[in-house]
Amino acid sequence: MIETITPAVCGSRRRHRLAVALFTVSAVLAAALVGLVLGFAGSAVGPATALVAAAAVLAALAALRELGLVRVPLPQARRQVPERWHAELPLPLWAAGYGAGLGLGAFTFQPVATFWVACAAALALGKPLVAAALFALYGLGRALMIVLPHRGIRPADAVERLVDRRRTLVRANGVVLGACAVALALAPLAGAARPQALALGPGSELDPSFSRGILAFTQRVSGVSHVVVREGKATVQFPGQEPALDGDLLAFRDGGGVHVIRWRTGEEIASFEAASRPALAWPWLAYNHERQDGSSEILLRNLAKGGVRGVVRGGPKMDFGRPAIGKGRVAWQAVGPGGSRIGLMALATGRRVLVAHTKIGLLAHPALSDGRLLWVDRRRGGSKLKIWAIGTRSARVLTQTASSGRVFWTTALAGRTAYLTRWYTGKGIARIESLRF
Amino acid sequence: MRRPDVAFDDAAGALAAGLASGMTRRSFLGRLGAGVLGVVGGSAVAAAVEPDEAEAFHFCGHIWTTGSCPSPLGIPRIDKNGFPIRAKDARPIDNLGRLVNAQGFPVTEGGKRMNGPDGAPLERGPRTKICEDWIPERFGIDAHTQGSWYRCCGGQIRKLVDCCSRSRKRINGDASLTGYCYSGRRVFCVMYYDSGLKC
Repeated sequence: MIETITPAVCGSRRRHRLAVALFTVSAVLAAALVGLVLGFAGSAVGPATALVAAAAVLAALAALRELGLVRVPLPQARRQVPERWHAELPLPLWAAGYGAGLGLGAFTFQPVATFWVACAAALALGKPLVAAALFALYGLGRALMIVLPHRGIRPADAVERLVDRRRTLVRANGVVLGACAVALALAPLAGAARPQALALGPGSELDPSFSRGILAFTQRVSGVSHVVVREGKATVQFPGQEPALDGDLLAFRDGGGVHVIRWRTGEEIASFEAASRPALAWPWLAYNHERQDGSSEILLRNLAKGGVRGVVRGGPKMDFGRPAIGKGRVAWQAVGPGGSRIGLMALATGRRVLVAHTKIGLLAHPALSDGRLLWVDRRRGGSKLKIWAIGTRSARVLTQTASSGRVFWTTALAGRTAYLTRWYTGKGIARIESLRF
Repeated sequence: MRRPDVAFDDAAGALAAGLASGMTRRSFLGRLGAGVLGVVGGSAVAAAVEPDEAEAFHFCGHIWTTGSCPSPLGIPRIDKNGFPIRAKDARPIDNLGRLVNAQGFPVTEGGKRMNGPDGAPLERGPRTKICEDWIPERFGIDAHTQGSWYRCCGGQIRKLVDCCSRSRKRINGDASLTGYCYSGRRVFCVMYYDSGLKC
């Protein structure tokens, strides 16, 4: 194939440049697509630590193989790109086709194990865009093989030189794969599952809400609360608290109830009195409504079509906290003197599930995203942040603290990143932390 | 002239108090010694040891080996209905160990509603019975408050309460005893209630 994309075969130097460009773009895009798909797959399955461990084992095995210490067959498509394309198809098609075929990786011969280790790592990473960017480099590498030889050396000679140095290259590859295995094995210990405090400014920060790369939170300075919407380093503030963000829309509470606004312009969409603790996922707004008899309930409004329905109602001793809404579901806490529970309802069917309950602990502050439900399980002995992949058998602990003076408070969830408010009860301040899982 | 039984009681109490203050939490001999002396000089022992420290003896009045029931602050003091209260002053606490007022809201030592990080008063947390609610959830067994007996502790009558279960293992992990339990149940763990009646 490498000899196919030459000025001689392409017909002219201009057609050669066109073939190289198309090959490169196609290889990069195809490789990026592989990363994107693997990243999505990784974000949909869990737990991440198990995937990272599997990737580490695979990398170690691949390193041993490359160093010649073990013999492990590779999954192989023992094919090359079809030579006949060059004869049958127009140049733009065959050049792009060759690029795509090589960029996808799995459809051509793989002399080393590195591609499969990269696939496992992308799966474990669970970040589609980052995985796509990294795999794009693989596509670029494939493209360099047809670009570099033309700088003063014939393609066939370049291949010959590589073959001559194959033993050294394979050994070097083995060492790099070994380093990757160590890095992957240490990743969970190096902070992958440890909350990182976010530097968000002075005062207390709490009630995180995350949407499309933008973070909203309540900031309390000298006893006064503001809602802060933070996009990159730019911030917008509104007097109020308890923000819920969904793209350009922001719901929050002030003295007059819950307001829904376009936060970039300040234009108000809707407002509701006697309401607090909103959760927003257009067109749905869920919030806590205080009834005249002193009891409370969680109401669900369709902001586009109108209409309201009750999600859960309780007596004056029940605290429903801030509900969570997303992906066609609404979740809530119900805390009272007799115990606490986390509930979940499907918006389409109204079917409810009791996710967790306890008579002795405090289950609170749920957050929803991408088929996962997050909440805080607080006991006398400390707080745990638990996550449940909806539909699976049991929840797992993401992080915990044994300190009763640093309790977990409100949460948010975005993909595989959890946001958590840590309340320092002694100092009376709160900080938002993020946790990649 | 002092009555002989009072003098004996005082001496036993002083000895027990000395033992208690000198031993470590895990001192078996100290515990045993304090327990034996507590039988004869229980009131003095209780007076010499603050309630928060009393766990070193297990607690005043309880000389057998069955362990304490779990409770928010470690010492299984309960009110007359079986809910947890703080050992040192009998103020009600919720399951997280926070002081609560009569309505169940968390309060400060001074009795003011406790505020959360958002500046709003904290809502109620769960406050449930140590035996009937905590034991089944923590240990997956049935549990009922049944037998009890009385001792004089700190100058008042203390009711020692058995939390009974059909489990053949007690909280210590070894075989359970019948104690004051009935209907085939055995002592799983113990709690206490201070009556406030002088003795």
